[in-house]
Amino acid sequence: MKEQGVVQKKVCMLGGFAVGKTSLVKRFVTGQFSEKYHTTIGVKIDQKSQRVDDTEMLLVLWDVYGEDDFQKVRASYLQGSAGYLLVIDGTRKETVEVARQLHTLAVQTMGPVPYVLVINKYDLKESWQVEPIIYEDLARNACLVLQSSAKTGEGVEVAFAELAKQMLKV
Amino acid sequence: MAPPSRPSLPSLPKSSPEVSPEDSQGFSYLRRLLLAPEQTELERLRGRLEQFTLQPQDVGRVLPDAIRLRAKQDSRLLASMIPITQEALSLSIKQSPQLISDSIAPILGSAIRKAIAHAIREMVQSLHQALEDSMSWRGLLWRWEAIRTGKSFAEVVLLHTLRFRVEQVFLIHKKTGLLLNHVVAEGVSGQGEEVISGMLTAIQDFVRDSFGQPQDQGLESLRIGDLTVWIEQGSGAILAGVIRGAPPMELREVFQETLETIHAQFSELLQAFKGDATAFQETRLPLEDCLQAQFEKTPQGLPLVFWILLGLLLLGVGIWAVQARLDHQRWVQLVERVGQEPGMVVTSVQEQGSKTIFYGLRDPLAINPEQILLDFGYSSDQAVFRLTPFMDLTPEFIHRRAMIQLRPPSSVVVSWEGTALILAGEASHAWIQQTQLVGPLIPGVTLIQMGQLVDTDLNQFETLKAKLEGEAIRFRPGKSSLSQDQRSSILRISETLQEIDRTATILNITPHIYIQGFTSPEGGKEINRPLSLLRSKTVLNELAIGSVRAINLQTIGMGPTAVDEPLSPTGIGVSQGRQVGFQVVVAPDRASESRQ
Repeated sequence: MKEQGVVQKKVCMLGGFAVGKTSLVKRFVTGQFSEKYHTTIGVKIDQKSQRVDDTEMLLVLWDVYGEDDFQKVRASYLQGSAGYLLVIDGTRKETVEVARQLHTLAVQTMGPVPYVLVINKYDLKESWQVEPIIYEDLARNACLVLQSSAKTGEGVEVAFAELAKQMLKV
Repeated sequence: MAPPSRPSLPSLPKSSPEVSPEDSQGFSYLRRLLLAPEQTELERLRGRLEQFTLQPQDVGRVLPDAIRLRAKQDSRLLASMIPITQEALSLSIKQSPQLISDSIAPILGSAIRKAIAHAIREMVQSLHQALEDSMSWRGLLWRWEAIRTGKSFAEVVLLHTLRFRVEQVFLIHKKTGLLLNHVVAEGVSGQGEEVISGMLTAIQDFVRDSFGQPQDQGLESLRIGDLTVWIEQGSGAILAGVIRGAPPMELREVFQETLETIHAQFSELLQAFKGDATAFQETRLPLEDCLQAQFEKTPQGLPLVFWILLGLLLLGVGIWAVQARLDHQRWVQLVERVGQEPGMVVTSVQEQGSKTIFYGLRDPLAINPEQILLDFGYSSDQAVFRLTPFMDLTPEFIHRRAMIQLRPPSSVVVSWEGTALILAGEASHAWIQQTQLVGPLIPGVTLIQMGQLVDTDLNQFETLKAKLEGEAIRFRPGKSSLSQDQRSSILRISETLQEIDRTATILNITPHIYIQGFTSPEGGKEINRPLSLLRSKTVLNELAIGSVRAINLQTIGMGPTAVDEPLSPTGIGVSQGRQVGFQVVVAPDRASESRQ
């Protein structure tokens, strides 16, 4: 039976192939399902409790398989999301364009919902290829832009906490 | 809603500067003359509009109809009233709990009775099932299977007897895939239902997209092993039931009806859902109605083991009943025996806890009632006697009491004629005297007859008296001294006198013993009388009797004859020649007293 007073929100993890979405989720939650769901139906779902001020939230994270030449992100998976994390791999410039396409798809599907732009793999800063000017258009409407590292955990909690806070305002 | 616009008033021509005051007054007069009624009404309406306030009476008139009409349109009014009603109810319960309690008691009472009846039915069914499963051959096979496979026995029984059971029901928001509510069957543990809810939605989306199905279409069923997931699609929510076994198609209808009901009640909440599923807690009851189950029908009739157990039970009950009957009879006999026991009167018998208390009367000579208890095999812990002492005046107890108080010697023969005591045989003088004193005081004894009772001490006295009176001590002519040959007679007479004294003491009499001296007729009167007295005194002096307590010895000189002078108190004078004789005299009254 559902717990009373808990606000659930569906959150999508969007980004190109191997940008580190699953690693970010792993950092954030303890998973229940195997990752093979990614290659079967293209999504893996986890949940995480999050407190925002006095509100207890349950984030249902839809870790959508990264878009590549072989598999497209299914728009139906994005329906009903209250927010999303748009993830770019800081060491691969081409992931910005994939993120841009996914952002467009998200806006079309979900409407204007809060999102956090995450530049991942900050632990590989020496091989950084992505400059802010490249993703300036994506950052413009984001509620937060931050650099993260799923490896060190840097920025992960902040990204989810900020997204939860913004989703609650809507 | 736009505010009511003020009604426009007819515009009146403004007075031109050229109009003189006289003309203006005339115009006003004309206007009043022509439009006075309308103008008055107009002024009244204007005043009402300017001071318009909503009166409670006005609202009260339209409120019932307004609520009814609004409720027909949609459920928004209902939804907005829910929190107010809940708060009002909560406050009312806090302030007047008794009122609420009284109001719901009739409903609750019925519901509780129904629930108890249901629980008892389930318990009986469960017991029956447990017996069936545990004791039957089939049950033993299942038990073996449980041991072999490492599963619990209950699990094996469930697998074999379960037709179907709805283990979990999910109510999922269609658009977001978020969980609205979730119920599980008893004994089933739910885990990660929010994620399962999302995955079910994702799988549906995947299948729908893959096969190009429209949005309103979706998966209806998933199946793996003996688990089936039935999914019912609604416009705003999805109902998914996880079922073990083979569900009947009727269950589909149950799911559909439940989903329709939920949509009817929560359509607006479903549309406006933003993640807080609190309002959907109210779907719990309809969802729980979906948690149905069906088991294999148990075969008709009961297993043999059941009948054996029942037989043993009945046998045990029978033995117990017979034993109880025998115990009861024994107890009744005990009560009767106590009631009929001589010298005992039972007035009432009361049960106090595990003890029985007998109240009544008891003669001290009656049997100890605790002995009766022991005779019947009961202990003193089981019964208590509270009997007040009393005196039983039935002949049996009169006789018993007399025997105890008189303690007759074995030489006495006791017999009764009713309450008259008849004593015969021989007894000592002391016992006879005691009986004469005590006998009449014994309660219930009306008469004591002692005519046939011989006083042994008195007999002894008479014998000794005769013996003494038969003795004679002879003297030589003219002599008053004893010859040697008479010494043995003196000794024998002395012993006889001592015995007479002892017997007289017992008889409490004082016999007078006259030692009578005699002479022969020879010689003169002057010589014989003193000589006879001298002879009696000689004998008295010679008698070695020591101190005597009862007898009274007296010497008398009888002379040659007893005819001339009455020398003895009895008037009997016997000439014995030259000798001394004895006469024992007991006062007639004393003798008769001692005889009675």
